[in-house]
Amino acid sequence: MDQEKTPVRLKGVGKNLCIIVDPMESTEHLIQEITRLLSELSEQVIDSAVTIDVGEGHDDLFAALGSYIREAFGVSSIARPDKRIKIAKRSILPEERMRIRDMEQSWHHYSTDVLMLAGRVRSGQRVAAERHLIIMGDVNPGAEVMAGGDVVILGSLMGTAIAGQPDNEENIVFALDFRPTQIQIGSFVAAGLPSSSEKIAEFAHVENGTIVVDNYLDVNPFGRLPWPQVR
Amino acid sequence: MDGKIIVVTSGKGGVGKTTATASIGAALALEGKRVVVVDMDIGLRNLDVVMGLENRIVFNVVDAVKSKCQLKQAAIRDRRVENLFLIPASQSDNKDVLTPEEMIIFSEQLRSEFDFILMDCPAGIERGFENSVAAADEALVICTPEVSAVRDADRVIGLLYARSITPKLVVNRIVPEMVARGDMLSHLDMVDVLSIELIGLVEMDDQVVVATNTGIPLALQKGSKAGEAFRRIAMRLNGHEDLPIQVPEAQGGFFKKIRNKLGLGR
Repeated sequence: MDQEKTPVRLKGVGKNLCIIVDPMESTEHLIQEITRLLSELSEQVIDSAVTIDVGEGHDDLFAALGSYIREAFGVSSIARPDKRIKIAKRSILPEERMRIRDMEQSWHHYSTDVLMLAGRVRSGQRVAAERHLIIMGDVNPGAEVMAGGDVVILGSLMGTAIAGQPDNEENIVFALDFRPTQIQIGSFVAAGLPSSSEKIAEFAHVENGTIVVDNYLDVNPFGRLPWPQVR
Repeated sequence: MDGKIIVVTSGKGGVGKTTATASIGAALALEGKRVVVVDMDIGLRNLDVVMGLENRIVFNVVDAVKSKCQLKQAAIRDRRVENLFLIPASQSDNKDVLTPEEMIIFSEQLRSEFDFILMDCPAGIERGFENSVAAADEALVICTPEVSAVRDADRVIGLLYARSITPKLVVNRIVPEMVARGDMLSHLDMVDVLSIELIGLVEMDDQVVVATNTGIPLALQKGSKAGEAFRRIAMRLNGHEDLPIQVPEAQGGFFKKIRNKLGLGR
């Protein structure tokens, strides 16, 4: 790759600059390149925190480059990259890396499409969402709520709920008071679900090719996931 | 005069819209207001029979809307109740002869002549319903304690909200004994599902059949439970909003009454 051959690479966010250098190149050549790159940025470099990545070892090269950059460009600090992260990153799989990023950066990168409504859905009304649907209110008999993803009703579900359209069987239908007329998940249909007399939070999901309704708190389907995932 | 147009509707048929319209209309007139009840069920005329005015019809609502006659000619005066008028439906047309636009224009005429205009809406949510609600200021939704009636009422409530009309609920034909046994929906369950303001509870009453067949207004019959309930609804419509709603109670035995008093009932 072309990039691999470049002796000096520059990465930066805000006041943090990371300079990655090829330790195989001569110090003079590296200084020349750094000077060229940093001069283009000119004033932005002043007072920035600079990290110089010279790879493992090469302490003298880091010292030489560090002192040069500090004097020539007036940066606020010079440091080497954090070894722990460096080592950790090398040894882990991409999925684990994503988890670390999720845990550390708290989902800044993600957004999920959710249609969230407050109020009562009445008979004859139909609410449809591209992905997930949350209704803070009740769904009356004769009403229909439909979603490409999950359906979550924070109230009584007495109408028809359709989740995972057209063909996602992983989705669930949840209600604080679960008394639906009919449930559809993906291509599965369930009607005449026995309703419990008292109000308990239940959810419907597909298990072995049929729709199953369980007590949400007892089964706690997502509580077993070891870390939060984007749905 | 700047009258108020109240549409009486339900979605489902046979829940007592016409009886309620006639009774509330008569009760409002007895309160001293100038009231007209308009039968919007064109093609299936009923309200005139319930009010005992069927042999006095010359013109009807279609004639009045189409300006084939004067409003005064179409509005039949009730001889027993002062200030009560009926505009009957046409029996030979169908609902498509009128349009909502025509009704809005006609309503202005009605507002200038009367204090209260009660529209007896036909069952269903088609043109007849559209015509009835086109110019309405308020709505009364009549619902019986049956699952089917509740579902239709719910639909109608949604349609009324879509037209910026906030409806009020009348629960009709309550049998307190059945409610107490748990065989009938209680009005609390209905209000729970429909979530609109309750304006009256009407008990099942055999007098209604008598009144309907003889054409004597229910509101004039002393001792009629339904008549009393409709009178109270009329009072609430006529500005006495804080009049408490009476819950029909089962005629229980002596011991049951004592249990209830002690808070051991239910």
